[in-house]
Amino acid sequence: MPAAFSGNRLRLLLCLSLSFSLSGGSPADPTMTTQDVNKSQANFLTKMQAGLNESSPEHMMATQTVNQQTQGSPSDHLTLGHNISTPGVSGTSVEKNITLDRGTRIELSCRLDNKYSHLKSLQVTWKRGNETVRHINKTETSWSIQLRISDNSKLGSYSCTVKGEEEISAIFHLQVPKIEGKEKPIVSYEGDTAVMICKSFGYTPIAWTWYMTNGSEQIAINDTLLANKYVIHRISANVTHMKILKLTKEDNGVYWCEAAFELGKSKGKLKLKVLSFMVPLKPFLAIVAEVVILVTIIFLYEMYSKKKEKSAEAEKEFDQIEQLKSEESNGLENSSARHRKI
Amino acid sequence: MSPSVPSDLGYVPPDGGWGWAVVFGASISVGFAYTFPKAFTIYFKELQAVYSISYSQIAWITSIMCATTYGGGPISSILVNRYGSRPVVIFGGLLCGIGMVSAAFCTSILQLYICVGFITGFGLALNLQPSVIIIGKYFLKKRPIANGLAMAGSPVMLCTLAPLNQFLFDNFGWRGSFLILGAILLNCCVAGALFRPIGPATASVKTQMAEEGKGALKEEVTEDAMEMSSPTNVPMENKTEEEGGKDCCEKINQYLDFSLFKHRGFLIYLIGNVLMFLGFFAPIVFLAPYAKHIGIDEYSAAFLLSILAIVDMIARPTTGIIANSKWVRPRIQYFFSFSIAFNGTCHLLCPLASGYTGLVVYSIFFGLAFGMVCAMLFETLMDLVGAARFTSAVGLVTIAECCTILLGPPIGGTLIDTFGDYKYMFIKCGAVMVLAGTFLFIMNYYNYHMLAKEEKERKDHAGVGTRQGEMQYSSKTFN
Repeated sequence: MPAAFSGNRLRLLLCLSLSFSLSGGSPADPTMTTQDVNKSQANFLTKMQAGLNESSPEHMMATQTVNQQTQGSPSDHLTLGHNISTPGVSGTSVEKNITLDRGTRIELSCRLDNKYSHLKSLQVTWKRGNETVRHINKTETSWSIQLRISDNSKLGSYSCTVKGEEEISAIFHLQVPKIEGKEKPIVSYEGDTAVMICKSFGYTPIAWTWYMTNGSEQIAINDTLLANKYVIHRISANVTHMKILKLTKEDNGVYWCEAAFELGKSKGKLKLKVLSFMVPLKPFLAIVAEVVILVTIIFLYEMYSKKKEKSAEAEKEFDQIEQLKSEESNGLENSSARHRKI
Repeated sequence: MSPSVPSDLGYVPPDGGWGWAVVFGASISVGFAYTFPKAFTIYFKELQAVYSISYSQIAWITSIMCATTYGGGPISSILVNRYGSRPVVIFGGLLCGIGMVSAAFCTSILQLYICVGFITGFGLALNLQPSVIIIGKYFLKKRPIANGLAMAGSPVMLCTLAPLNQFLFDNFGWRGSFLILGAILLNCCVAGALFRPIGPATASVKTQMAEEGKGALKEEVTEDAMEMSSPTNVPMENKTEEEGGKDCCEKINQYLDFSLFKHRGFLIYLIGNVLMFLGFFAPIVFLAPYAKHIGIDEYSAAFLLSILAIVDMIARPTTGIIANSKWVRPRIQYFFSFSIAFNGTCHLLCPLASGYTGLVVYSIFFGLAFGMVCAMLFETLMDLVGAARFTSAVGLVTIAECCTILLGPPIGGTLIDTFGDYKYMFIKCGAVMVLAGTFLFIMNYYNYHMLAKEEKERKDHAGVGTRQGEMQYSSKTFN
């Protein structure tokens, strides 16, 4: 990652004029600028090609690019290519999510693929909701708008609609970074400590706040007030921990971790389940019982088969002794017979 | 189908009957011993968060567990020599259970080290060695098959323990899971209950034992067979008390046979295996991270390990059957060396595998080779030293292997960190194993040659004069 970071920085510095600036906030702070540049590199240029399979022989290909720069040679852009084909219905749109965590100036452009540059009389409209936004730049094949995103109200969905024979649109969703909570509930026990972790990927929030749900309300957790119950700790810039001590059944429920960014807030959901010790004790006792029963059966079977062997051996011995006795007596008879004969 | 192999036990092993129940019990014990440390890693993340510690600190738990399992080998051997397999395994199972149950109530990482690392690890050591030992007592002609089946318990247990652990963790949290795992480990006691003691007394002189008790055995059992199972150790004890003032070394020898270090076959096995283990486990540890490194997603990377486990499961009994055939059994050492070298070659070719399909093929071959080596690991040792001295041999071998087993993955990790590339780790593992395989092949050729020579010499001597009632010992018990 560090290598890529410096590479991008270098590339941008060598490049052309930058068409964005920070709004509000602190004045040009070099680290912040480059950091910001890096952030914008993340969603710098994503080219998407939307191919529509239509009945008409003509195919409209629209590409959308998010430019943080005005004209630049393709080699200066970081491009990730996505291919999305939406067969059949016209009027379908291609969508793109763009994550912003701080105020910037952003340029969104819809560009028609070079293949179709011959198409004329195309009408392009940029819209946000119902209101139309004016183009700033227009070339033969691309239409773009420039936006200055300074606060939460400016975020939303912007769409460009290309009206030709058919209508295609592409939508950009501008949003704050998402926070991931945990899908599965965290299981803990009464009297124990539970640790909840929230992470923000890639973007550093200004502040973290934790909420607990009481019925339908969300109540902020003040860890200074309830220091022997809740301990909130910011492990690193992007990670926050909350420890809940001395758990009780009432601590069961949903918790929210909220990350505050310049442009808005984002929440992550976590569930806590508090169990009593009886819950795992039942399977434990069941398995121990199973073990004891099996061991007893095995030992009993062994004693039984040994007894059988013993009695079988005793019988065999008895038979052998009987046989020997009868042989002896036969032998005696024979010898006495011989004696008599002689 | 299997050739007749001379026995040095003093009795003819049943080669079936109750032996198959013993194999089943052994596979459970062996399975727990090998797979428990691996399946335990699921709890790492949670424990790291709860105790606020780094990954390396939490990884010490499994390192201590593995070290104790292998390092406890000699103690296991001594106990089996004295008491027989059954009591030792039952005690080991209890120890494992107690260890995990007490781990459920731990409040610090140090307590976890002791409960999970030492106590459970030692319990597993008391499970592993006796299980392998008792197979040698119950089987002779079909011993490779029995060994292969018993060792097959390891991948089967891995396939069940890993998802089970995840299920327990999702539903009961880590404390509840440890409690239930303690109960599950108590099943080792069930396995131990199956290990009916067997020896010259039980096999041939049943009537005497039934009526006169153990005192009568003295006359029946010859001197060499004395080192073995429990019923015969009692008369041996009496004998030593009678003679009195026995040499200290000899006394230790009767518990743990250090004279094995003069045994040529044993030394060859020891050196070869110690070398092999340096590169044995590292590829498994780093397979999933390597897959993620070349861009494969997490689930497909985990699937590679599943493929490995499934192929391993099939390969072990199959290898046992092949090793039992009349062509392979007399030359089983060659087969073992070949499988080690094959394993090494797989690793050397791994860096050439590109993309997911390449890695799947590698996993299949690796699973096959891994299974082959594991199935014959103890069979070859039994073949070299004979079942009588195997008890001590296995203890000495495991404590020697302990060091290299523990060193293997960290060395691989260091190579990866230094060069930033996984291929050097694979090359190192592959090279070490090919070297070990070649060493074993050459040395065993020499060993077979020497054994044949000694056999010929003995036959010549024996032809001169034979006393009646003298037992013919297998050439393998002598140097």
